[in-house]
Amino acid sequence: MTTRETVGEEFKEIARAAVTAARVAGAQGVAARVGKVRDVGVQWRDGQIEQVTESTTRGLALSLYVDGCFASVSTSDLRPEAIGPFIADAVAMTRTLSQDPFRVLPDPALYLNRPDLDLEFADPEYNNLSATRRRDLARTIEDAARSVTAADKILSVTTSVSDSRSEMFRVTSNGFEGERIDTSFWLSGSVTVKDSDGRRPEEGDFSGGRFVRDLGDPKRVGESSAQRALARLGSSKAASNAMTMVLDNRAAGRLVSALLSPLAASSIQQRRSFLEGRAGQEVGSPLLHIEDDPLIPKGFGSRHFDGEGISARKLPIFDRGVLRNYYIDTYYGRKLSMPPTTGGTSNLSWALGSRSQAALIADAKEGVFVTGFLGGNSNGTTGDYSFGVQGFMIRQGASAEPVAEMNISGNQLELWKRLAGVGNDPYPYSPLRTPTLVFENVSFAGI
Amino acid sequence: MTTPPPPPGPSIGTTYFTAFGVDERLIREALSSALSRGGEYADLFFQHRIAHNFVLEDGSVNRAFKGTELGVGVRVVKGDQTGYAFTEDLSLESIRQAARTAATIADGSQGEAPERFHITTGLPSRYATERHWDNVRPEEKLPLLTGLNDRTFSMDPAIRKVNITFGDETSAILIADSSGRVVEDIQPMTLLYLSCVAEKNGEREQNTYGVAARKDMSFYSKDRLDLIVQEAVDRTMILFDAVQPPAGEMPIVLGAGASGILLHEAIGHGMEADFNRKGTSIYADKIGKKVAHPFINIVDEGTEEGARGSINIDDEGNAVGRTNLVEDGVLTTYLHDSISAKHYGVKPTGNGRRESYQYPPLPRMRSTYMLPGPHKKEEIIASVKKGLFCTNFTNGQVQIGAGDFTFYVKNGYLIEDGKLTRPIKDVNIIGNGPKVLERIDMVADDLTIDQGGWTCGKDGQSVPVSQGIPTVRVSSITVGGRSERS
Repeated sequence: MTTRETVGEEFKEIARAAVTAARVAGAQGVAARVGKVRDVGVQWRDGQIEQVTESTTRGLALSLYVDGCFASVSTSDLRPEAIGPFIADAVAMTRTLSQDPFRVLPDPALYLNRPDLDLEFADPEYNNLSATRRRDLARTIEDAARSVTAADKILSVTTSVSDSRSEMFRVTSNGFEGERIDTSFWLSGSVTVKDSDGRRPEEGDFSGGRFVRDLGDPKRVGESSAQRALARLGSSKAASNAMTMVLDNRAAGRLVSALLSPLAASSIQQRRSFLEGRAGQEVGSPLLHIEDDPLIPKGFGSRHFDGEGISARKLPIFDRGVLRNYYIDTYYGRKLSMPPTTGGTSNLSWALGSRSQAALIADAKEGVFVTGFLGGNSNGTTGDYSFGVQGFMIRQGASAEPVAEMNISGNQLELWKRLAGVGNDPYPYSPLRTPTLVFENVSFAGI
Repeated sequence: MTTPPPPPGPSIGTTYFTAFGVDERLIREALSSALSRGGEYADLFFQHRIAHNFVLEDGSVNRAFKGTELGVGVRVVKGDQTGYAFTEDLSLESIRQAARTAATIADGSQGEAPERFHITTGLPSRYATERHWDNVRPEEKLPLLTGLNDRTFSMDPAIRKVNITFGDETSAILIADSSGRVVEDIQPMTLLYLSCVAEKNGEREQNTYGVAARKDMSFYSKDRLDLIVQEAVDRTMILFDAVQPPAGEMPIVLGAGASGILLHEAIGHGMEADFNRKGTSIYADKIGKKVAHPFINIVDEGTEEGARGSINIDDEGNAVGRTNLVEDGVLTTYLHDSISAKHYGVKPTGNGRRESYQYPPLPRMRSTYMLPGPHKKEEIIASVKKGLFCTNFTNGQVQIGAGDFTFYVKNGYLIEDGKLTRPIKDVNIIGNGPKVLERIDMVADDLTIDQGGWTCGKDGQSVPVSQGIPTVRVSSITVGGRSERS
């Protein structure tokens, strides 16, 4: 049996007192959230510390339901003499707005059945990372970066070691109370190298986790940062063509986010979603199979309840290419006459393939292995997208010369039907947990 | 040990922050803690910021947001090294604790805090307002939104949804440093975005137009409100006729105004001196070199009355003027904060900026634009046989070291045989900074500073900026778009 750390009563009292104060000021419904975040970081560059930062931020946020009107407010000024007038002003401001019959606190029934799992958010060893250890880790990353083959081309190495601990407590006037404490620890390396044409490509890598013991290997981070940067040397742009795209698991989140944001009920209700009215329809290839899973231990998107207090549960999003669910919060759900699911993504759980990234590149034979995006955008209303990309040409089933300064463009409804491969390698450092993805017949713009 | 009485001299007890208990004694003791391990320089950045947002959706202003931030950041500098901490509790004890944390960047003996402080007076007044936004009641703002909503719907029967966000902000700052300098400023901001969705023949399109300024309610004149409605509707309706253009390298003409995004990405970031002192910018070691045609001049300044990117002082308390990035085609000056200025042995350029008290300052842009050139807009468009004319943009990004940058074109036209033909939409353009600068081979005389609410992100910090440009031609750049399998 494990005992979980809890948020201090004194801190909770700030939120409870705010609910009372808002009700006294005339609010019929109130949600209050207090939060406190401590961030510590060391940045190291070329043999010495560049920057040390350490701070604790705190704040109070309120959602106010006053005579049918709604506003939300936040403050970092928690002086008792400031909070009272702040809440009174906020309630008065809310009253000046138009009434909105759709705006209510969630149905308390949705607060029930909160999962009672230990999702391992908070490291009990949190305070054990000393300033000296941080410095040593930062130095080790640089030393490893400078130890790789061709390190003489390295111009600069910046590394960082950071950690964060946050506490939050949320309470509503209709019976919700919830809290969480979470921690995370990160290592990163960033390496700039000198190219023969004057370009100075920069690449990097990182690792981390919820617990200090999940920080990862600083040597691996350093070596990988340098190797990634050196691999960019001599990059050029290829001819414009429609080609197979193998998309690195680390980079794939950008494209997946562009698919998820039109699933928000606000986008549907405001008619800004190319996925409106497509529930039950096939919008991707059968390989597009994703479940929203808030209950993965140590997951960066894990939670027991969502931002509104709705108890967490798994939610199928795409089932063998068929759209199953939208992300529906209370407000837009009422506007759409659809029951709420949850207002935002947690972790994604993919139906993984059996092939490694190298095997997928080998299978592709010819194409582009895209390792990063640069700018670009996706039009959520129409699904048209255009993104800058860089990566490597795939020749005879292997990653070959580096390419940069290229774009991919098209429409997402076409793109996801061309999903032809899913790797066995979910990216561990993002809640989207994307595996390597393979798309056929993607429009690349270059020369 | 007892604290000595405050020495005679100018008192700073009359400032905005007096109400929060900030006085000379507190500043002196905080700086003393900041220098407790012998940092070369320390500063305090106090900030009180109040922001409002009002949102109109489905015909009524049915939500509002208000945020208050109060805090102080303590920075200690030793050479190129920085220690930084902040607190939201302005008690002396709490500030001293933050200061001691920041002090750990140094490892020497106690330094001296200044005996006397001097308020910098005679600051420019680039955004004087009749009333601070915090004193403007919601009842005065809300009719603006409902009026815009009604007029937008009346413009075209195809309009289905209108979404309007009105924001205002008042930020008071006080900077006190270990040289005894104290500087204060109150910085207003307002922005308004109008976005609409239209439906025609079963198709849907959406677009947005926005304006921003450091001004008060008088910014929202009838002419400006008319312009907002007209632009938002025009930019949306034209999308029904627009296509994604063909892919590949081609000449592009950038319309005057918002196309300044090209300068922001292609050269502005690369000229920020922190990247250059670290050797990680493609522009490192290029000062004094020819980088563009001789008729090209690019500046970054923060002086235009009421502009979003304007500031009376930067966030380190330094004066803000005009910095020449490129003069007659030659790379001239980097954008400096005080750390990089010291590193290079030059004067700070007033580019030290930060998002809030939670962050240390960095070299950042203010308002970046190109000065007028010798050509005419019509002659530039007429010179292109097959290419694009780009007018509206949503976002851009750059790799500082490799120099590759992108910007996303939301509206524009194909140019065929010197004439604007089919509208285009949703296309990303990618190029390499120095190469594209060389390829700007025509510059018109129609410089326009865009009034949009541009926000620049760097190291996780967002700051408001402006940008502008005359109509220019880039002889060749890679346009995203549709390509067929060859």
